[in-house]
Amino acid sequence: MNPASAHSPAPRELDVRPILKSGGEPFQAIMEAVSGLKPGQPLRLLAPFRPEPLFKVMAGRGFAHAAREIDGGDWEVLFTPEGAGSPVAFSADAEDPEVWPDPSVHLDLTELDPPEPMVRILSAAEGMQAGEVLFALLSREPLFLYPELAKRGHQWAGNFDETRTTFRIFIRVGKVKA
Amino acid sequence: MPGATLSRWTMSYFAAACLFLVIGECMLAAGYGYPFETVAAFGTLALVHVLAIGWLGLLMLGALLQFVPVLVAVPLRGERLAGPTLLLVIAGLLLLLGGFAALAGATTLSPNLLPIGAVALVTGFALAAGMFATTLFAARPLPHPARFVAAGLLALMATVLIGACFAALLSGAIESDLLTALVVRGVPLHAALGLGGWLSFTAIGVSYRLLPMFMLAPDDVRPTTKIAWWAGIAALGLVAASVGLAVIGPSAMAGLLVLAMLLTLGLTVLYGVDAVRLYRQRRRRAVELNIRASYAAFVALIASVAMFALPAMRAAAGEGAAALVYLFFFGWLSGLGLAQLYKIVPFLTWLECYGPVLGRVPVPRVQDLVSERRASLWFCLYHAAVSAATFSLFMGSHPSFRIAALAQLAATIALIAEFLRARNLSAVAAASRVPIGVPRPHLFLPPFRPQE
Repeated sequence: MNPASAHSPAPRELDVRPILKSGGEPFQAIMEAVSGLKPGQPLRLLAPFRPEPLFKVMAGRGFAHAAREIDGGDWEVLFTPEGAGSPVAFSADAEDPEVWPDPSVHLDLTELDPPEPMVRILSAAEGMQAGEVLFALLSREPLFLYPELAKRGHQWAGNFDETRTTFRIFIRVGKVKA
Repeated sequence: MPGATLSRWTMSYFAAACLFLVIGECMLAAGYGYPFETVAAFGTLALVHVLAIGWLGLLMLGALLQFVPVLVAVPLRGERLAGPTLLLVIAGLLLLLGGFAALAGATTLSPNLLPIGAVALVTGFALAAGMFATTLFAARPLPHPARFVAAGLLALMATVLIGACFAALLSGAIESDLLTALVVRGVPLHAALGLGGWLSFTAIGVSYRLLPMFMLAPDDVRPTTKIAWWAGIAALGLVAASVGLAVIGPSAMAGLLVLAMLLTLGLTVLYGVDAVRLYRQRRRRAVELNIRASYAAFVALIASVAMFALPAMRAAAGEGAAALVYLFFFGWLSGLGLAQLYKIVPFLTWLECYGPVLGRVPVPRVQDLVSERRASLWFCLYHAAVSAATFSLFMGSHPSFRIAALAQLAATIALIAEFLRARNLSAVAAASRVPIGVPRPHLFLPPFRPQE
């Protein structure tokens, strides 16, 4: 595990210029990209103008922004999560979570009674290939889940969102299954 | 690595605690201790310590072994001390009881058992407090619920040390005017620090985390929670200061204690407000029995503290406001303890038995390990019996008190039978009871195989 690199994962890049060029509305694509960010991961957005209205939306979701004009009058904005107070927790063997593949399974378990989220996550992980990543939203930090993940050889990284109401966890399915 | 594993010794603590509860309630039903003797009689002291140390003390230690790591998301430090601690506390309690019996006239026993027992109890509780304190220390800054636990641990050590002073003096091991002054005036302070500071403060802290968890309610820290914390800390500080005054300047004690009582009333009301808010904001519509039974305990807490704050009610409650102490002890602390056991025992059993195979084979739900309909009857009987016993103490009616105590004993045994059924997986169809390759959980002994 490399906490230094894991605490500052490489930004995810989203270029909305092609969407706008073809007359599309990029807002949904941006929000999907934001939802898919790993804990602590920034978003680098490329747009043909300074996306002023987006700054407020992103601030509401706990992101600071830094905008600069690039070649051709286009703009690059780096949205960085202001994740103070919600440090990322890792399994002992989680190596470089920022290079994990994008999640192939998404689960929203925020409305389930404990310990049902744990059952769903472990069931879903059983059906996945080694190396695949599962992303889940929970209403609590799944403290009792961590030892079960470790026993099965799965790696994980997770933290609370900026409002501390939802816990986000990425689980990379392990190669060795007990 | 962060996370919470199953505490190996928690079930052993719970089993011992339940055994001491049954013994204590048998003593009550058999006419042992107050109201059949005076509050200060050695029979009453023995009864009170069976219940306060044997039942609630061990219950709380067992619960903290499991839930301190959950409160602060840090593994428990020094877990290997859990087994020796249990033995020390049980041995200390039995020695203490032997000492009380000697003072009551049992010629085969020596009063010196009292200080020996006190040494064992101080050591046992200090080991426990050390485990929890170092775990909490590693998790600073402490989340709000954990602060209550930290304050509760301080109150625990103050209670036990004052108790050790009593033991030294009563046995005749030490003669001291200061200690005599402490015994004369300090007994209510010892009780307030134990039942209020240690047991109630800790229970309140743990419930601030468990209630939102079980009801899917937001567990943000509200101003009411913060004020409740400061009111409680101030009350504890005043009681602790009164311990010093009991020795050097008893005339100033009364004023401090009135203030401490008003702060406690404030804490209780704010805690009640928080409990109602959490209930209203819950996202889980159907509320489980452990939560409903916990709210019955909250009613007993508020009723007993509010009545205690009224001098007329306190005077009518018998010697040492015994009726209100009874309601506080059995309605609030024991009621909450039994309610939480009804959730914790099935959950830990489920995790121990089915955790290793989750997701691989179909497993029963936690709810499938219990029968809420039957158990809700027992909780109703329990609280009805506690109310009747409290009322009998107000009326000074010994026969009706014994009948109520007997009903309370019956309800308690029925609830313990429910815990045993959950532990034995009796409600799960035999075919799916224990998955292949998973050892059946021991009834109350720890798993002796090393944990993965």
